[in-house]
Amino acid sequence: MELTPDIVKRIADLARLELTETEVELYCVQLSAILEYAARLQKIDTHEIPPTSSILPSHSLLREDDPVEGHNREEILKNAPAIKREQYQVPPILD
Amino acid sequence: MTQYESIIGLETHIQLNTQSKIFCSCKADSWLDAPNSNICPVCTGLPGVLPVLNRKAVEKAMLLASAMQAEIQPVSFFDRKNYFYPDLPKGYQISQYDMPLARGGFIDLPIPDSTGQNTTSYTRRIGITKLHLEEDAGKTKNIGGERQIDFNRCGVPLVEMVTGPDLRTAEEAAHYLFRLRQLLRWIDISEGDMEKGHLRCDANVSIRPVGVDYLNPKTEIKNVNSIDAVRDAISKEIERQIRETEAGQKIEAWTLEWDEDRGILKKMRSKETEADYRYFREPDLLALRIDDAWQNEVVSIQPELPLQRRQRFMNAYQLPEYDADILTSEKKLSDFFETATKAYPGDSKKISNWIMNDLLRILKDRNMQIDQMQLQPADLVEIITMVENGLINTSTGKSLIEKVEDSHQRPSEIVRSENLTRVSDESAIISACKEVLAENPTEVASYKAGKPTLMGWFVGQVMRKTKGKTDPEKAKEIFETLLH
Repeated sequence: MELTPDIVKRIADLARLELTETEVELYCVQLSAILEYAARLQKIDTHEIPPTSSILPSHSLLREDDPVEGHNREEILKNAPAIKREQYQVPPILD
Repeated sequence: MTQYESIIGLETHIQLNTQSKIFCSCKADSWLDAPNSNICPVCTGLPGVLPVLNRKAVEKAMLLASAMQAEIQPVSFFDRKNYFYPDLPKGYQISQYDMPLARGGFIDLPIPDSTGQNTTSYTRRIGITKLHLEEDAGKTKNIGGERQIDFNRCGVPLVEMVTGPDLRTAEEAAHYLFRLRQLLRWIDISEGDMEKGHLRCDANVSIRPVGVDYLNPKTEIKNVNSIDAVRDAISKEIERQIRETEAGQKIEAWTLEWDEDRGILKKMRSKETEADYRYFREPDLLALRIDDAWQNEVVSIQPELPLQRRQRFMNAYQLPEYDADILTSEKKLSDFFETATKAYPGDSKKISNWIMNDLLRILKDRNMQIDQMQLQPADLVEIITMVENGLINTSTGKSLIEKVEDSHQRPSEIVRSENLTRVSDESAIISACKEVLAENPTEVASYKAGKPTLMGWFVGQVMRKTKGKTDPEKAKEIFETLLH
């Protein structure tokens, strides 16, 4: 499948990426190549193989429902670009 | 004019009452906690962290699935739902998509008639189309034009449960939420408090002429956070859709927001299409496998469900539907009733009356739950038995409930220590009545001159003299003879 610049722009928009026209052209080619490879895989007959979303052991490990305290709020808040009243301060967005 | 019917589906988000969050060990309940006090690198989406699924969250979702008669799936998967919002730090929500925890399910909803009595006029089966586990997002607060984010709620386990387009009136939607909330508390998987956001509801509403079977475009109502608000918002939207359709307008698939303060619906941004979320398997989590052994272990602790118990109370104890409905409003109350009625066989209605008229009033007055009471089912049975045997009169019996609460003594002990047994010796009552008349010649004269309302006052005087132990009917009889 050949991706058009419009589709690439749409994907970039969903991922909140700003692309230059040169980048759009570049990604058209690169993403199309990826899809072309996936299309080749699609042709392989896999109807007797169950879908594999992971090659790791077959099921999730579960955690007991025991709350643990000890994370330091100040340490984690250091990752925020700005803090106000112990909260992450962000610019007004959407709506 | 065309007759319309409304088609309503409800999407609910149910906050599970686990101790810790769904994918990390942070405390889940942050009620009254300071902002960002229950956060860690996992729930704030820092790079390099891995989610680990909470067993209890899965089990609570299994309990709900089983209560809704849904099929718990032996294998389910988690997926990433991608969207950008500041209170979603990873840029995606871990949810379930095409392989959810449970499929199918329904609830048979008794809809009472509109006369105010809680008797069922019909039953509506509401199908469940979706039941899956996911994580909650944080909270964005608007403070003086600034946006501040609290991640305490981020990662709290949610069940998303969606009904089919099976509800037909705003009233039915309200009943669905009422029964759902009752169930959540009954099986102890959520506090179900809509005002606190434990139970959130979006409503999809469309109308169509009666008799057709196609569906018209629907609108989605968001941000309704009480059962009354859901009823009001849906009613308003149905009225609007009928008005616009009658005026020749097309109904568009808007998203509407309920403004609680003004009681109006406002249009929100155009609805995003599902494809925009670009769901894909969560690569950090493996398949969730629920084998028969685990499922049986979890589901075997499921108590009898509220609507089943309600029906059984009507059948086994010949209770009116109204009584059965109130007595099964919460599990502990229904347990109390059943223990009491088993200890007092033959007259369940009497137990029911005492609970509904007296016990519930006291609980309400004292703002207490039934399991916080000193009064045990055996105490209530003891009180009722003493009244029935004529040992104490009814009003003494009623006051005994409060005395048990205050003194922590058994009813029979209180009756003995306070000498509350009723004065049944007629000569004692007659002499008390004679004393009253002798002490109040003015009132006797007025009564004889034609003021029969004074009878109540005379009886009151005897009750005072005998500290409430006289049967007032008996005293009245004696006065009537004496004053004749």
